[in-house]
Amino acid sequence: MRNIIETKKLCKTFSNGGVQQHVLKNIDLEIREGDFTVIMGASGAGKSTLLYALSGMDRPTLGEVVWNGTDIAKKASDQLALFRRKNCGFVFQQTYLVDSMSVLDNVLAAGLLVEKDKKKVTAKAKEVLTSVDLPEELWNKFPTQISGGEAQRVGIARALVNHPAIIFADEPTGALNSQTGKDVLNALTRFNESGQSIVMVTHDITSARRGNRILYVKDGEIAGELELGKYVSGDKDRHSMLRDFLREMGW
Amino acid sequence: MNKEFLLARSHFKKNRGTSIGLLSLILLAATLLTISLLTIFDAYPTSVKEGERLNGGDGGLNISFDVENLSEDVLEDILAKYTSEHEFHKGLEYQDISVPFGNGEMVLNILFYGAEVLDSQLGRIEIVDEDPAITSDYIYLPYQYYTSGSIKIGDTLEFSLKGIRYSFKVRGFLNSTYNACNNTGSFIFIPDPASYEVLKTRDGATEAAFMVTYKLNEGVKDAAFRIAFTNAVKTINSRTQVGGSSFDHAVYYRSIMSLIIAVSFIVVSAIVLIVIILMLANSITNFIRENMKAIGALKAIGYTGADIRNSLLIQFLTLAVGGSIVGIVLGYLAMPIVAGIVIAQMGMPYSVSFNAIATFCPVIFILLFVILVTMFASRKIGKIDPIIALRDGLAGHNFKKNHVRLDRSGFGVNTSLALKTMFTNRKQNIITFFVVGFIIFVCTIGLMMYENFSRDPKLEFLYAEHCSGVLGVDSDMKEEAEEYLNNRADASNVRRGLNLNLYFGTEDQLYAFIFDDPDKMNNKNVCYKGRLPKHDNEITVSGKFANEQSLEIGDEIKLNYGARSATYVITGFMQTVNNMGHEAIMSEAAAGHLMDLKRAPGYLWFDCDGRDLTNEIFRDAEAEFEGHIVTTMNYYEVMDGALTTFQGIAVLMLILVCVISAIVILLVLFLLVKSLLYNKRKDYGIYKAIGYTSDSLILQTAISFMPSIILSVLIFSVVSYFAANPYLNFFLSSFGIVKSAFDIPIPGLVLIGFGVIVLAFLFSVWQARKIRKIEAYNMLIAE
Repeated sequence: MRNIIETKKLCKTFSNGGVQQHVLKNIDLEIREGDFTVIMGASGAGKSTLLYALSGMDRPTLGEVVWNGTDIAKKASDQLALFRRKNCGFVFQQTYLVDSMSVLDNVLAAGLLVEKDKKKVTAKAKEVLTSVDLPEELWNKFPTQISGGEAQRVGIARALVNHPAIIFADEPTGALNSQTGKDVLNALTRFNESGQSIVMVTHDITSARRGNRILYVKDGEIAGELELGKYVSGDKDRHSMLRDFLREMGW
Repeated sequence: MNKEFLLARSHFKKNRGTSIGLLSLILLAATLLTISLLTIFDAYPTSVKEGERLNGGDGGLNISFDVENLSEDVLEDILAKYTSEHEFHKGLEYQDISVPFGNGEMVLNILFYGAEVLDSQLGRIEIVDEDPAITSDYIYLPYQYYTSGSIKIGDTLEFSLKGIRYSFKVRGFLNSTYNACNNTGSFIFIPDPASYEVLKTRDGATEAAFMVTYKLNEGVKDAAFRIAFTNAVKTINSRTQVGGSSFDHAVYYRSIMSLIIAVSFIVVSAIVLIVIILMLANSITNFIRENMKAIGALKAIGYTGADIRNSLLIQFLTLAVGGSIVGIVLGYLAMPIVAGIVIAQMGMPYSVSFNAIATFCPVIFILLFVILVTMFASRKIGKIDPIIALRDGLAGHNFKKNHVRLDRSGFGVNTSLALKTMFTNRKQNIITFFVVGFIIFVCTIGLMMYENFSRDPKLEFLYAEHCSGVLGVDSDMKEEAEEYLNNRADASNVRRGLNLNLYFGTEDQLYAFIFDDPDKMNNKNVCYKGRLPKHDNEITVSGKFANEQSLEIGDEIKLNYGARSATYVITGFMQTVNNMGHEAIMSEAAAGHLMDLKRAPGYLWFDCDGRDLTNEIFRDAEAEFEGHIVTTMNYYEVMDGALTTFQGIAVLMLILVCVISAIVILLVLFLLVKSLLYNKRKDYGIYKAIGYTSDSLILQTAISFMPSIILSVLIFSVVSYFAANPYLNFFLSSFGIVKSAFDIPIPGLVLIGFGVIVLAFLFSVWQARKIRKIEAYNMLIAE
């Protein structure tokens, strides 16, 4: 499989009151097309920082983030926005839907950025909302009128509407109960099975099991990597492999 | 109280931009209020103070036209009956003379008196400024020549009297209570002794006049005295004219402009105060929304609602006190500019002095407003439950309708999102709608004043009738002169017109415009109700006079002139700003019941095509009737002269109104856009995360304010177009204008509307540029 993203000597340093904190240290990494890549690590290890640096949401301090041969690390803020709208879909822990817009409008607000044909975008938005199992009667509700799990599925639909090269998911089940979290993971898994590349940050082992490739971040570096193969429901070996890997990483 | 101060300081730090915006608005309101109050309480009384300082008595009279039979002893006898003190001087008076003034000419009664009048004790005439080095062929002019007549000491003033050209060097300026302001209808000139002797020798027989200043006996009313005096004089010589005015009228006319300016400033101040109320209430509502958790936390640790409200009160009172003090200082600093306009009209020295009312009232007024609005708008704080607030519970959403559905909207995505923002931000857009509406209305008034007093001035608002020129011919040649004008192809609508004071009862007078046929008048708009008189028993009187006397159309009115009296039927009401609103129009035939007009000079009003042709007609007439021309009045020149001060004021007011409007719009948008950016900062982060650029979000933000602004401009432009004249009618009715028909140039109105929209859009874009600083990543990790 070809690499969609490659990082070279990726560094990220935060400065706070003159004190510098090196969050990412010389990371060389490839993200492959079609993979469900999971980034794990302890709190403060730098996993979310890595996710946002890969996605062009944030700029690294040093190094390159090469997308299909183009380094996006040096792009200006608005150029990155244009890049993101075409290439990335995002699912956040807090869902981050716009409260003043209906569910359908939240998805369309993203879709209309890329496709100007309103009919096509509307049809696509409805298709993805259906594909995340969101009942039609909720489409014209506002985000505050639906449950957290439903809102997260709207977030996934919004991430999918533009056929992004990769979906970046930052702790997508972090704010959900186990059942709604499972529904969200099922949706992501389903899309990955149909070829959608996904990079997901999580510190939840159950969520991490859905990935076929596990990266473990420790002190700003990729401390280890595990290839699990595609997710199969009820595969107990998968769970123990992952547990052993994490134990080895000091989880 | 310490804890409230601590909280207030924290509010300041957190809401620095909002505080600066509100402070600027308060400062602007305080400045305008200070200027208004200084104009009313410091500038306006100046003419009274000056009149009293010059010992102006109760009134002044100018007795002219055939006064040879009127000896000083006779005058003494008449005056002794009614006055406790009087003083009179003999000089010359030329009636309705065109003299250069400002950009044109002024038509007034010009009084020439010798230097001995400078020694008078009652109704003192005082030299304000002079250059003693000028020793021959000089003249002292009223100070108004300096303040608005564009004349300086050392300049040359040229004018014609009875066909003879005179040239004087200006030696100095004088002040007089009764004869030094164009609004009182007469100017006193004091030439050098040699020139004065020349004038006396030439015109002493025909133009001799008396100038009287008097103090009335206790209980004698001025109007009654004037009528009795006029009648007594006319029993001696029916042709003698008595002019002049009471002290009250003289100071009123000299200071009327300061009242108009003060009222204009108060109107604008009121609008700024309304804007402050809206913005203050909006800021407090925003504060509560933005600080819901903090309020909850404060209440949880023991702060009461009153403590938090008091802290807000301290914050806004500090702004009010600071803004008011600086505004008052700015008001005093700006006052000399306004004073320049006021003294231009007053024609007397004036310098701004400290005035307690103008200094303390704006602070008290603004503080009261701020206290009331803050207490009212913050009352919700008292009801906030700390637990609910800590959960951000009160910020719950209650969206009843999904406005501008993206799947159905006919607009592009950015415009659609802008419209969504507009609906969710509807309170702020309502504020914008009304603020812009007020601004459009005020600018329309400013535009109307500029159009009608400066760009395309119209005398019909200042005078009862207008024409191209008036040719004054003595009684010997008036019929020939009329025939001559009638025979000229380039002159049209030749009509005979004369002005005289008629008396009503024992205390009131009417300044009458007497035409051979009132139907020939150009200014038909002067009669706003009923019709102009046609027959010899009819009269049109001013509405103000009719109102004061409880007269209606169809009523009869008995008028006196000397020993004669006649009764007339009122056919209509006319509007006028002159002669205290006491004017009338009648036909020659009607006036014939009161006086013999055969021996009066002929004043021939005519229309023609422009200023140059008017002068050409005068030149030809002077050649044709040499020695018989009493006066010539080119109305185009008169218009320039009469409007000199109005033009300056109109331009200044338009500029001032536009600048203040721009400042108000910018401050309001500064506060509203700032608050919107704060409230939507999370949404902007989300938009950026999913791929919206800063430019598109900036544009969305600016566009979200545009519908209310454009709608307001459209609606209020139409409303202002139709409401401006009725509004001015209401405002000017106390001055005698009841049915004004001021032009409002539609292109100007469109330009103002377009300007407001463009300014608002550009500023919104500029203010929304802060969106660039919102980074999606920072927004996400901050949560």
